[in-house]
Amino acid sequence: MTLFSTFPSSAARLLLGSVLALGLASCDSDDEPEAVDIPSNSVLVLNEGNFQKANAEVSVFSKNTNEVLYKSAFSAANKESLGDVAQNISLQGSTAYIVVNNSNKLEAVSLPNFKRVGKVENLKLPRYFVANGSKGYVTETIAYDGQPGQVSVINLNSYSVAKTITVGKQPERLLLVGNRLYVTNSGDNTVTVINTTTDQVEGTITVGDSPNSLAQDFEGNVWVLSGGKVAYNADYSVDYTRTTKGSLAKIIPGQLTVATTLEMPSNLSSPNRLTINGTKNELFYTYQNGVYLYPVGNATLATSPIIRRNFYALAVDPVDRTVYGGVASFTSTDKVIRYRTGAPGNAYTAIDSFSVNIGPNGFVFN
Amino acid sequence: MRFVSCLRCYPQLLGAALGVTATLPAAAQSGLPAPDSARTQHLPLVRVPGVRPDRFAVGSRRFTLDSLALTTYRTGTLADVLNARTALYLKNYGPGQLASITMRGTSARHTAVLWNGFNINLPSLGEADFALLPTSGATQVDIQPGPASATYGNGAVGGTVLLSSQTRWGAGWRGSMQADYGSFGLRAGNLEANFSNQKLAVRTSLLYRQADNDFFYYEGRTRRQQVNAGLQQASLTQDFTLRLGQRGELLAAVWLTDADRQIQPGIGTNNTHAQERDQSRRLMAGYRYVSTRHEWTARAAWFEDIINYRDDVSGLSESKVRTTQAQAEHTWGFAPNASLRVGAEAQHFEAQVDGYGARPRTENRFSGFALFRYDPRPRLRLSLNVRQAVLPGRQPPLTPTAGAEWVALETPQHAVSLKASASRSYRVPTLNERYWRPGGNPDLLPEEGLGYEGGVVHVLTLEPTHLRLQTELTGYRQLVDNWVQWTPGATYWSPRNLRQVRAQGLEASTQLGWQPGAYQLTARASYAFTHSEKTKGTAADSDPVGRQLPFTPLHTAAFSTDHLWHGWQLNTTLNFTGLRYTDASATDFLPSYLLLNATVGRTIAVAPSWKLLVLAQGYNLTNLSYQSYDNRAMPLRHGALSLRVLWR
Repeated sequence: MTLFSTFPSSAARLLLGSVLALGLASCDSDDEPEAVDIPSNSVLVLNEGNFQKANAEVSVFSKNTNEVLYKSAFSAANKESLGDVAQNISLQGSTAYIVVNNSNKLEAVSLPNFKRVGKVENLKLPRYFVANGSKGYVTETIAYDGQPGQVSVINLNSYSVAKTITVGKQPERLLLVGNRLYVTNSGDNTVTVINTTTDQVEGTITVGDSPNSLAQDFEGNVWVLSGGKVAYNADYSVDYTRTTKGSLAKIIPGQLTVATTLEMPSNLSSPNRLTINGTKNELFYTYQNGVYLYPVGNATLATSPIIRRNFYALAVDPVDRTVYGGVASFTSTDKVIRYRTGAPGNAYTAIDSFSVNIGPNGFVFN
Repeated sequence: MRFVSCLRCYPQLLGAALGVTATLPAAAQSGLPAPDSARTQHLPLVRVPGVRPDRFAVGSRRFTLDSLALTTYRTGTLADVLNARTALYLKNYGPGQLASITMRGTSARHTAVLWNGFNINLPSLGEADFALLPTSGATQVDIQPGPASATYGNGAVGGTVLLSSQTRWGAGWRGSMQADYGSFGLRAGNLEANFSNQKLAVRTSLLYRQADNDFFYYEGRTRRQQVNAGLQQASLTQDFTLRLGQRGELLAAVWLTDADRQIQPGIGTNNTHAQERDQSRRLMAGYRYVSTRHEWTARAAWFEDIINYRDDVSGLSESKVRTTQAQAEHTWGFAPNASLRVGAEAQHFEAQVDGYGARPRTENRFSGFALFRYDPRPRLRLSLNVRQAVLPGRQPPLTPTAGAEWVALETPQHAVSLKASASRSYRVPTLNERYWRPGGNPDLLPEEGLGYEGGVVHVLTLEPTHLRLQTELTGYRQLVDNWVQWTPGATYWSPRNLRQVRAQGLEASTQLGWQPGAYQLTARASYAFTHSEKTKGTAADSDPVGRQLPFTPLHTAAFSTDHLWHGWQLNTTLNFTGLRYTDASATDFLPSYLLLNATVGRTIAVAPSWKLLVLAQGYNLTNLSYQSYDNRAMPLRHGALSLRVLWR
């Protein structure tokens, strides 16, 4: 009541209060770039952000101090938003490449200051990227109408598209092995092999339905994880009578056929996010709301997880075998949980967690 | 223009018998201060021989935007009016884009929007897009914040917006025509014609507007031009009231709206050339019969709401929902100081929505209500209302409302009233929440609210200078349970009854009317403090408790002035919107902003019955770069010129 006891003073106070608030707000958005200095022995966490909100970001976690150094490194360093739906981050030397799916672009930033060094725009729903010296390869969905996707060859000196190569439907993660590039076509049941010397398709390998991720083991073999094809009823509930099981396939480089296929125990869940440890003898993947481990060479796949938690991002520290899991709510500040184990075969236990931005979906270790 | 002046007495006989003089604004009705004295300036001739539903809304805050407040926005939308003139926050996805309201710390689904007594929220989304409701569709907008399901039915949890057209009897022929020319390709025109004698009243209003909205904005330090944000919009309103004898009245109304909008992409997001066509066809007809102690009303309405969306990535998605509804009520004034209204409502929805699958979904909802008003003493007013809804599947609880108002002090200069109310409210899950595939959850429970409010109203009247200062302070608290939230599942998102939300706050408003001579001033200031947070959640709800809900500003304020002097007019609006968190953990936020708009105009009499009004309107005069909603650009300083021809 006192605030509005008399009219003129209330108006004046209101005005004054608003102006003050405005002044504070403009102080918040200080225009001077905030220095970013990413030390070695840190982990870059890619936060996907909310669709259409262009709030994708990169958070930086220091393994030295076990704390988050920068929650929003890209905007801190570049004074602009990273973009809408960041899908993938990868590192080559001191350059990090970030694929921003719904901004149709690839951003290149240099470490340690995280400033932009290049940008490729007008891609077509790009998904994942791999660098190969002065060339880079990015998978692009183009559209979800059943047409094949493509891989664009990027000139990393001029940041321009040098060539596009048609692959299968909805190409996802890709892996460089020598002068071969393996591309998972998640809308099909194939892996496209591209010769990186000629940038021509060398052949297509048939794998399980919906391949989504892949890794190379210590023997040089390529493991391709397929999610299995999910069939829906008319009401979009899953029809498990027609849904196929996920599988893990081994490809020997140079061959255009699968050497071994291991089938998942159940079709109730789609395995995804295949990743490998530093010594390249343990494959990790997400499946049935948990993390599963496959020691390379085992005859069968595990039926129980090493971690019972649903992750949107999964990575294994190549140095100390710490497992990083990203928990994504998409509504609030999300977190990353870290797990460790003693000797191989021992249980993985959570050691700590840290807050990042919205929707962590990938990690790179610097 | 005069303050409260003459009142024709013919229908008051009936009104008095019913214990009301519903023809009048609340101030004249009972000594209770009018929520908006501007209303009293313009509606002295109104005579509606019925009992308005707000008669049963004793103890609740309520305020009105009358034709004077609306007239500056004649070619605009309710989003423009509410944003500029009230302390309500509407999430605005860009100029002319989706504008979704939040009242008292709840979501847009918790605001009931009623047109001539019928809920016009889109049944699929359960909310209204205020940018699709042109101002010309109604001549009066009443806003009642707070829960009031007993009176207004489904969704009146955070508040209710009531759109109506007040009938002026015996005013003869009147008409006006307006053309607007403004920034970013704004072209608009409005044509309005009115006729009334003592038997028939007709109003026709036509609106067309288009804009390119290719304004410049800043992304960081980079100046960019907005793409894909153009729109075309049209509206036709036809109101018709016919008196049948001394006691009967037939009313009918048509409101057609059509908007073809490009959907403004977020800053830094891919332009997928999204486009949306929104068409609503609303027809209603009713009959009212008033006797000495009784009033009977029957009304029926038919709505068709079409939303067709298209973009490059997802293709076309079509939605058509038809709503047929009927209401019947009987009011009995069994004593001079007591009246009772009982009634029932039936609604039938038929939805042909791509997202629900090929076959149409139908749903029936019913409710019955009893509203009781009793004034035990001249200065004490009480109401007790109750409604029970009947829904498919789960039942909402009985929703009662009890309210009281007491005029504590009444002198020629001062009037002080105290008021309080308590109310239960409910919200039925929307058709999308129930049927959307994948994810729709037919087992959702209705949301339930339990709220209280109390307040004080002071009115100062100084007759010599025609000064009237009305100040109101209201405090409220509400708990909403079974709050529905969409959450990610294994393969798709699904809505679930996840949490309890507590909203509490304070609302202060003051309004000054002053007419010392030829100069006339109306000034309004309002402030809202809104504290809304999740208090409990199920295990599946990962959002933290105890944080201010996203897109719910803690502080909002509005200050407007209207000056009239010898044909000149100046209108200013200043609106403050506090910071809004953009995530459930209340870490990221959009900064607060203060928007200043002003209009200068001159009315010139060009012939005995003809007047010309020239208006220059300026928006965002401080050239502020701001966002109302996350990542959607808003225009910097811009303006419009209007020319209005008034006949009689």
